[in-house]
Amino acid sequence: MAQNTQNILQRSLRKEPTEKQLARGKHSALYKNEGWVGYLFMLPTLIFVAVFVVYPVLASLYITLYNWVGVGTPTQFVGLRHYLRVAQDPWFWNAFKNTILYTLILVPIQLSLSFVMAMILNNPRLRLRTFYRTIYFLPVVTSVTIVAVVLRLMLGNFGIQISQMLGIDPPVDPIGDPRFALLTVVAFGIWQTFGYNMVCFLAALQTVPAELYEAAKIDGANSLQVALHITLPIIRPMATVILFLALLGSMNVFEQSFVLTGGGPFFASEVVGGYIYSYAFGGVGRTPNVGYASAASVFMNILILGITLAQWFFTRNLNDSKPRAKAQ
Amino acid sequence: MTTLSLTRTVRTPFGKFEFRAGRFLLHAALLTIGLIYIYPFVWMVGSAFKTPGGFFTQGISPFPSVAEGFQWDNFVQAWNGANFSRYFLNSVVITVATTFFATLFVTMAAFALARLRVRGRNLILLILGATFFLPQGYTIIPIFQIVRALGLLNTISAVIIVGIAGGQVYGTIITYGFMRSIPREVEEAAIIDGATIFQRYWYVILPMARPVVATLVMFFSMWTWNSFFIPLVFTLGRPELRTLTVGMFAFVGERSSEWTLMCAAATISLLPIVLVYIFLQRYFIEGVAGAIKA
Repeated sequence: MAQNTQNILQRSLRKEPTEKQLARGKHSALYKNEGWVGYLFMLPTLIFVAVFVVYPVLASLYITLYNWVGVGTPTQFVGLRHYLRVAQDPWFWNAFKNTILYTLILVPIQLSLSFVMAMILNNPRLRLRTFYRTIYFLPVVTSVTIVAVVLRLMLGNFGIQISQMLGIDPPVDPIGDPRFALLTVVAFGIWQTFGYNMVCFLAALQTVPAELYEAAKIDGANSLQVALHITLPIIRPMATVILFLALLGSMNVFEQSFVLTGGGPFFASEVVGGYIYSYAFGGVGRTPNVGYASAASVFMNILILGITLAQWFFTRNLNDSKPRAKAQ
Repeated sequence: MTTLSLTRTVRTPFGKFEFRAGRFLLHAALLTIGLIYIYPFVWMVGSAFKTPGGFFTQGISPFPSVAEGFQWDNFVQAWNGANFSRYFLNSVVITVATTFFATLFVTMAAFALARLRVRGRNLILLILGATFFLPQGYTIIPIFQIVRALGLLNTISAVIIVGIAGGQVYGTIITYGFMRSIPREVEEAAIIDGATIFQRYWYVILPMARPVVATLVMFFSMWTWNSFFIPLVFTLGRPELRTLTVGMFAFVGERSSEWTLMCAAATISLLPIVLVYIFLQRYFIEGVAGAIKA
């Protein structure tokens, strides 16, 4: 009997529209045009993305299968031969080596320096902190091309003089000497994007609760201990993103080398971006072959994808293993 | 820090000042590094006032020689003779148009994705996200072909259109994230009052999304003003359509020995963005910081 009443009660309740159902009914009447108007709102973006992002990606993959100088329709089908040629070209690997060296020198130096600077400027009692932040961020907003032209003027004409002033003996030519050209490009890269990473770290530091610092101070921790055991673990997720973006940005380096040194002397500072450019548009004695340039680009992007995936797995394992190690 | 607490408090009419050896050394270091940091800019501005001879005798000194004085004429020559007035105008037109349309389209698309009931939203978001990770070929070449097919090669419009397209994916994703977080109630009040979808976009969501719009405007104008590759490729055949960055690059190739003019031209090119940055630096820095959090 009791069971029956309950069933009836439930059934009658089921017929009664719930509050949620009421809300949905009200909404469906009010939102009846949202579908097609929504597509209208998205239309410009969807067209731009389809025409200038998605199609070019697919077309650039198709081009890699052809020999093509860049005009007319590509006719000479070569299959995957371009990829084989890239993989066997010592000049590609030279440019790749330079790109990796650029990344491996730039990223650790720049990230540690910008982290330390962010720690210093994060102190709200430090006077002039806005002023310093403004100065260190300045190169980020300026054009790489124009700054590279200015630096080329300065280092090309007076580079030897500057190295003398810095006490380097014997003095070196930072741009003309093949042993130092790449290092100069790296230094330029560090200088140019240092402020960006500093600001990212400053944003990350804002997420650390002030109470934690106070607690650590009471426990008698010094600055280094605070940085290693409080700040770093808390900002680790954001630091991973910063590292990821820094690696990606460095491996796509192009203008820094292209304008400052032109990849020279004798390809000593040529990076993959410049190698591809020279095959796409000619220059440094190479015959343009758009199909080949595109294949080199795909090949490089696959290598970058592999490296970033490896980094992702590595940092994920690092993030996982830390708490476990502590628990033991 | 505790080892350097040589504190001395001085009372002045303006309040209490604390002098500490540690702080002083820190400031000295920060100022020195800061000066070295902006030295290329200082040198560039100074060298723009030098004579061709003075450029060499003064070397890396930022000052023109006292005897020769300031050569304002370098700026006149770069502005008129080297055509930087035209490049400047091109840069301004391209930057304003690209930033305006890119921001408009991005906020519209993000509004539709975040606030309206559209079928296939997840699919569209997935495609947008996937374009980040696709291994790309040299996409500038197909883009070049499309622009040629549209008959827009060697026009300012080509640079603007390709520039707008370049920021759509990134812009839509960060704006979508922000608009998603605006509470539903605000918009519901407008709906009950009979607001149209366009009114909801223009009068409700867009004003509430002001922080992200500021970030977009800042990023788009900075990217466009500084962009080099796209204007280079699409103005190869028409030198008068060059932007400042392309004009600067071409100047090096064409008149490689006029160093002081080059410095004057570089100063003209960098000055607007540096001035805007100094006055709006808070927005620049918050924009970058906000983008990394999202």
